[in-house]
Amino acid sequence: MSCEDSFRSAQPAEKALSRHPGVRQALILPDGAGAWRALVVPGDAWIDEAMDRERADEAVLRRWQKTYDLTQSPAAAATAPVGFNTISWDSSYTRQPIPAEAMREWVETTVASIFELTPRSVCEIGCGTGMLLMRIAPQCDRYVAADFSSGVLRRVREQLATVDSLAGRVELFERRADQLEDLAENSFDTVVLNSVAQYFPGRAYLLRVLENAARVVSPGGHIFIGDVRSLPLLSGFAASVELFQAEGSMSLADLRDRIHNRVRRTPELVLSPAFFLALPRHIPKISRVEIRLRGGRADNEMTRFRYNVILHVGPETEQALDLPFEECPAVDVALASIQARFSEGREPFALRGIPNVRVEQDLEALATLDSSDQLATADDLRRELSGRPARGLHPQDLLDLESAVPGSQVLLSWAGSRADGSYDAVFLPDRRAAAGGVNMPLPELPDLLHVANAPGQAAARAKLVEDLSAYAREHFAAGSQLSRIELVDALPAVASERDGLAAFLTRPCL
Amino acid sequence: MTEKAAIHDFVQDLLLRNEDRAPLVNDGSLLVSGRLQSIDTVEIVIFLEENFNIDFSQIGFDRDQLDSVDAIYALIQSAAAAR
Repeated sequence: MSCEDSFRSAQPAEKALSRHPGVRQALILPDGAGAWRALVVPGDAWIDEAMDRERADEAVLRRWQKTYDLTQSPAAAATAPVGFNTISWDSSYTRQPIPAEAMREWVETTVASIFELTPRSVCEIGCGTGMLLMRIAPQCDRYVAADFSSGVLRRVREQLATVDSLAGRVELFERRADQLEDLAENSFDTVVLNSVAQYFPGRAYLLRVLENAARVVSPGGHIFIGDVRSLPLLSGFAASVELFQAEGSMSLADLRDRIHNRVRRTPELVLSPAFFLALPRHIPKISRVEIRLRGGRADNEMTRFRYNVILHVGPETEQALDLPFEECPAVDVALASIQARFSEGREPFALRGIPNVRVEQDLEALATLDSSDQLATADDLRRELSGRPARGLHPQDLLDLESAVPGSQVLLSWAGSRADGSYDAVFLPDRRAAAGGVNMPLPELPDLLHVANAPGQAAARAKLVEDLSAYAREHFAAGSQLSRIELVDALPAVASERDGLAAFLTRPCL
Repeated sequence: MTEKAAIHDFVQDLLLRNEDRAPLVNDGSLLVSGRLQSIDTVEIVIFLEENFNIDFSQIGFDRDQLDSVDAIYALIQSAAAAR
């Protein structure tokens, strides 16, 4: 049967499945083994009711709020250095505080990224202990900061009281991120949400917050969303942490279970860059989206598995630069050849799919776990991985090239959303060449199906799959042959995308 | 039900919610061992505030005091003695 024939025979079943109240959209495809698989976008109302969304969202927010209130109660918080209260910044690997040097770099690289946006009037949503505020506010005319934790705001107030120059320039509000509707339209040039989106109860909540953020930012301004946990790399992150913590004798089967459980139990909101790339369709005031890798030499979960997003607000006045993206040169000569071309050339150039040394071993661990039947224990896996040479380029090595060419810019993008952690780079000997931005490679189709995890929804989503299986068996003949029902965030919109997806999912086609 | 048994049951429920079915012994580590995540400690705090009249904003929060059923029980005892 050709792909076209498969679609024709699946269409009645698709229509039947779409009539279930828990289904917003459905697509049925051959599974490549003689049966069918269904991709289903769940209906929000059904999930909301099944999980009692309002109560569940409140519970999530209340837990995080309590967490931050609690962490700021020890005496240590009161004596933390001004602008550098890192209490509660614990490593997922060691469960110990992240070293001060790494935290200092994290703060400085974040502040530098925000200063690139030349902020004068800032609204920071989720200011935490004020590590950004204390550095950025002195350069601004107005700084409004909100946080849902009275505990952290108490610490920020204590710190502000020690800096006379900030008196009257900073306004603090004890509010949740979705309680800022009273801020006036177009009243800021920059909104900052740094390392807070992960505490939101879901992507619908985040979308509401961003809609309001876009409303309060004046045209020409920006929304900076920092330290976003990467969904394409969530399994890699889980593998990285679990392998780090595993006893040497732990079996690989147990290790796989632990990784799987860590992914499934992730209590934080984890997002694909694809979520942000779709925002201009939902929020027309957003004209352009940049997904950037974090800078820094420190080797930790923030530099490896998190990214920054810049949303440009208001109409673009300049056209985005369109460059052909070339394949990355062989890694052993890549850095030297890029350096030579960048410092000697006058033309901008772009590379795609640059292997990422920060995460390559973590992702190799994951791939080896899935494929190897020669290894038995965590120590076997560690030995296997330690024998492999590094093949990727360090993002900071590329960012450092800027310093050798005055007026230049290096842009590193994760907009491609690839699960191998590879990134794309644009090298601009003259940064003015990209005043309207650069069109970066976008995610390929399979990566668009999942844009966010669903913390707190596991039970409701499992119930929907169970209901749909029963419903399918009852309502259409092909139901009895449904091998799998997968809940996704989006379906391909047009026929050609659908063809491409089918080819991807069903190769070889039935 | 004794106070310690109530704590044990609550922690057991918390572990089951995380699909952790390994036995729970009263002196077994919960947080350092990784059986519970930091967000779970908040559940314990709310449970203690609501059921044992402990005010963490007054006594301060130290995660080590929640690392086992025994440690949590000792915390309750010392808070009661201080009242």
